Amino acid sequence: MGIQKDTVKFNVGGRIFQTTATTIANAGRDSFFGALFDDNWDLRRQQQPNSRQEFFIDRNPDCFAVLLDLLRTGDLYIPSNVPERLLCREAMFYGLTDHVRSAKWGPFDGNRLKLSRSVTGRAPGDGTAIRAGPDGGCCVAHGSMVHVFDWMLEEHPPINLDYQRVNDIGWINAENVLISACERLGKGDGGMGLFSSSTGDLRHKFNVVHDNQIKSFTAGALGFSPDYKIFASCKGRSNEYGIGVWDQVTGKQMDFFYESPGWSLGDADKLQWLNASNCLLVATLFPRKDNCYISLLDFREKRMVWSWSDIGAPLTIDEKRVQDAIAMEECNSICVVNEYDDLGFIDLRVNGGSVRWSSRSRLLKGKMPDEPCYPKLALHNEQLFSSMNDCISVFCGPDWVLTSRLRRSYGGSICNFSIGGDRLFALHSEENVFDVWETPPLPVI
Amino acid sequence: MSNQKKRNFQIEAFKHRVVVDPKYAEKTWKILEHAIHEIYNHNASGLSFEELYRNAYNMVLHKFGEKLYSGLVTTMTAHLKEISKSIEAAQGDLFLEELNRKWNDHNKALQMIRDILMYMDRTYIPNSRKTPVYELGLNLWRDNIIHSGKIQSRLLSTLLELVHRERTGEVIDRGLMRNTIKMLMDLGSSVYQDDFEKPFLEVSAEFYKVESQKFIECCDCGDYLKKAEIRLNEEIERIAHYLDVKSEAKITNVVEKEMIANHMTRLVHMENSGLVNMLLDDKYEDLGRMYNLFKRVPNGLSMIRDVMTSHLRETGKQLVTDAESSKDPVEFVQRLLDERDKYDKIICQAFSNAKTFQNALNSSFEYFINLNSRSPEFISLFVDDKLRKGLKGVSEEDVEIILDKVMMLFRYLQEKDVFEKYYKQHLAKRLLSGKTVSDDAERSLIVKLKTECGYQFTSKLEGMFTDMKTSQDTMQGFYANHPELAEGPTLVVQVLTTGSWPTQPTITCNLPTEMAALCEKFRSHYLGTHTGRRLSWQTNMGTADIKATFGKGQKHELNVSTYQMCVLMLFNNADRLSYKEIEQATEIPASDLKRCLQSMACVKGKNVLRKEPMSKDIGTDDAFFVNDKFTSKFYKVKIGTVVAQKESEPEKLETRQRVEEDRKPQIEAAIVRIMKSRRVLDHNNVIAEVTKQLQSRFLANPTEIKKRIESLIEREFLERDSDDRKLYRYLA
Repeated sequence: MGIQKDTVKFNVGGRIFQTTATTIANAGRDSFFGALFDDNWDLRRQQQPNSRQEFFIDRNPDCFAVLLDLLRTGDLYIPSNVPERLLCREAMFYGLTDHVRSAKWGPFDGNRLKLSRSVTGRAPGDGTAIRAGPDGGCCVAHGSMVHVFDWMLEEHPPINLDYQRVNDIGWINAENVLISACERLGKGDGGMGLFSSSTGDLRHKFNVVHDNQIKSFTAGALGFSPDYKIFASCKGRSNEYGIGVWDQVTGKQMDFFYESPGWSLGDADKLQWLNASNCLLVATLFPRKDNCYISLLDFREKRMVWSWSDIGAPLTIDEKRVQDAIAMEECNSICVVNEYDDLGFIDLRVNGGSVRWSSRSRLLKGKMPDEPCYPKLALHNEQLFSSMNDCISVFCGPDWVLTSRLRRSYGGSICNFSIGGDRLFALHSEENVFDVWETPPLPVI
Repeated sequence: MSNQKKRNFQIEAFKHRVVVDPKYAEKTWKILEHAIHEIYNHNASGLSFEELYRNAYNMVLHKFGEKLYSGLVTTMTAHLKEISKSIEAAQGDLFLEELNRKWNDHNKALQMIRDILMYMDRTYIPNSRKTPVYELGLNLWRDNIIHSGKIQSRLLSTLLELVHRERTGEVIDRGLMRNTIKMLMDLGSSVYQDDFEKPFLEVSAEFYKVESQKFIECCDCGDYLKKAEIRLNEEIERIAHYLDVKSEAKITNVVEKEMIANHMTRLVHMENSGLVNMLLDDKYEDLGRMYNLFKRVPNGLSMIRDVMTSHLRETGKQLVTDAESSKDPVEFVQRLLDERDKYDKIICQAFSNAKTFQNALNSSFEYFINLNSRSPEFISLFVDDKLRKGLKGVSEEDVEIILDKVMMLFRYLQEKDVFEKYYKQHLAKRLLSGKTVSDDAERSLIVKLKTECGYQFTSKLEGMFTDMKTSQDTMQGFYANHPELAEGPTLVVQVLTTGSWPTQPTITCNLPTEMAALCEKFRSHYLGTHTGRRLSWQTNMGTADIKATFGKGQKHELNVSTYQMCVLMLFNNADRLSYKEIEQATEIPASDLKRCLQSMACVKGKNVLRKEPMSKDIGTDDAFFVNDKFTSKFYKVKIGTVVAQKESEPEKLETRQRVEEDRKPQIEAAIVRIMKSRRVLDHNNVIAEVTKQLQSRFLANPTEIKKRIESLIEREFLERDSDDRKLYRYLA
């Protein structure tokens, strides 16, 4: 009897399951089971009168079996007769979605990634951008539409901002997506809007104010800081170019950094908040402009604290142009990439220094695809990712050694990719398809 | 398209509408509402969690989330209004207890309601941007209970009253207090701050203002500080027991301001018990308390420091300018050291060895030690005294400690070169008379001086030690070469390098013939082994041991100076000699002769000579005899010269002059060094740089520097700029 005390009996949709209270405790307090066995509900008393009462649950027994197994072992095994969607719905009922999600794929490691799914979209034309959400979902911008997918890769209602061309997208949190779009001349359309990721409702539209007047604007690249600020490169029609700053909580404009003559901020391709130095990296790159401009802005002093440009730099024969840039604060440098997938580094401690190219990959030369895509960079947990044509290279270590390559022959060149929620999303240009790469859970043995 | 337009009928879409029972939502909500009532009425045992959860799930699933949510708000609000009434009705002390009980009930109910509505919390609420159930429950509690008109003010006054009662020594129910405060904190930091913390701080400030006024009227400084410390600790303890840790800085700030900052000046200067009295009486505990309390308020420490500094300067000034204390240099220095030890101990024990206090101590000593121009001399004399006899029987470590302390004083001296001058003289005397107790101690001090002031400072002093060593070797060589001299008087010569030793005008006296012959032999031996040297005798610095037989055959060995020996040897051939005769025979300078006769004729127990007339002083007409009746308990009798320990006034002036004279080349050298590297420099900067360069040795006098510059211009090392007369140029 002493051993039996711990056992629990469930009747789920007519099927009897027996398990232990210890297994059920793995579900955590914030779940159906956690509440069911809480002292507040006083179930012990009901259970005690030697009736060995079973708990009836009016749910699908097949899914319960899978989830019970998940609680027992921590491993998710979905038999072929259980559709994933059904399982997820049941997990929602029990409050076990987090368990399912973390059992499906492990903590992100660029060197262990496996292609998990390919999702084909219905939108015409090339995608603009893909952004990974914090909980494993993603959103994809196609022309004037943004398609939102949750972590099960179920598509939610699409989002648009007055059907204007979308320039950039960003996740505020798992519930909210920010869109920056072109303005429609004279109509006040476009700009920047905040949408619910699940319902697609517009929740807030952001304004830009110049001289106490609300102006319409085209919003470009987006950036976020941990102290709840939103940054966006802005182009107004009366030459009000620069970087706008908004408060995520109130949605109000806080600041505006005007572009100085001879420099470029309002057309930026990339914004990146640097936490340690309390600065915003703004990069405007070839081919959007003829020259590249990279600068660090300090908003407290309204000052450009660091800058680099290739204006006036002698053109070499192979004409290396910087096409993406990413700041790596730990290494005090900015990593850049050119059209030949060469990585270069600029020292952040020296103002206006030069690019130190690492002449790594001559191999690629000569086999350029017909429709090249501009290379992109990303940094995650001290791993550097660089996309080129149809593959993504992973670099590790202090000298950024090439350690892995992610490649798939279908879908054409990768025009954009993003890492988040322990997943990597790669958007391909030709077939309007995006790939989801995950780190598989550790092997059983 | 055109075909479709022509058709006049349309196919109706086959829609299969799912008909939901129109009363479904209402029915389900009734079940849930009933459950919420039962939960609040402590009657939940009959409820089935699974059923309630499923019902709530279904409502959300069928898009009745809004109904569920608004129903929850209405129901919960109604319950809280009931609760509010029962809390209001509680009498007196039961009020807090009732509030607490209801709060616990509400929390438990909230938890259960949240369990039922978990699915809504997870899906409906984030999508519709509503407040999650738990926060909603707290907000409703805040609005309906804590901020209800009848409860808000009563709660605040009850809490403040309890704190006040505890401050006045009553025991209160801390557990209840802690729970109530925790409730306020759970409701959000702004609730805690607005509904309790702010008024609490105001009331505390008022309380401590009154109390500190009362204390300062009737307590002395030490007691007041004790009370303030107790109060401060009480508040910190109160925080730990039942308030928010974030309030600690705020409430201690209030106590500090009211009890310390506002009364700081009065406390420090309190008559008979203030800081100065504590310093005088070495009240480490009180001082430490004052330090720790004052440290908490702005300018507190600087105030203590300033008062301590001015007190220290005042007493120090008295100490060094007191004519009485200047009489005994050893005592003088000892008192300085004692003073330093005293404050060292205070700073170490009470002021947690704070750097700023140490600096204040040092600067004060530097200030007053240099008020007395004889300090360098006295310090050297103190060392002299210690190294002569003071260190006998003292362990090596203790010697080091004493020397370190002396070095500390030395560091304060501005005129280090004056010290060097005296030290050299005193060291010379010690070495030549063989009086130095410990060679190690001597050398250790030299090493300390060297690390302090550099190689230059001690090179001559070290030269003196070398001379002593070489002389020993030379003497051995001399006697080895002249074995025939084993008989007869023994000569010990110390060959001193000119320049290393403090030179004195050499007036050679006439040595007794035996000695003169011996000296001559040594001279030829020495010059024979060393070419190109010159020897001159410093008879004023020598000593001699002579054997004497007195009237009744009593034999003694007399330890005397060379001068005394010369005088005594005269009495081998005569019984009576007049002063004039002695002076003629020996050619000893008058002042030295007088002193040496005085020591042999007038000192009781050492009077190997007799004098007519018997008087204390030596007159030029006096006559001297061998004192046949001389007796002494000891076989060896040491006849000291009446030495002038301290320098007499004219000697002092002379030393001073020599020091000044020595400084001139040093100043000039500094000027030239600076100008050589700078080429052009204006007057003020030259003065500043020279002063800086020479600081480690002495404080250069600006007028003297100016004179040196003039002299250098005369000798064409420098020139004035033709346009700017303030500018000097270096001439290569």
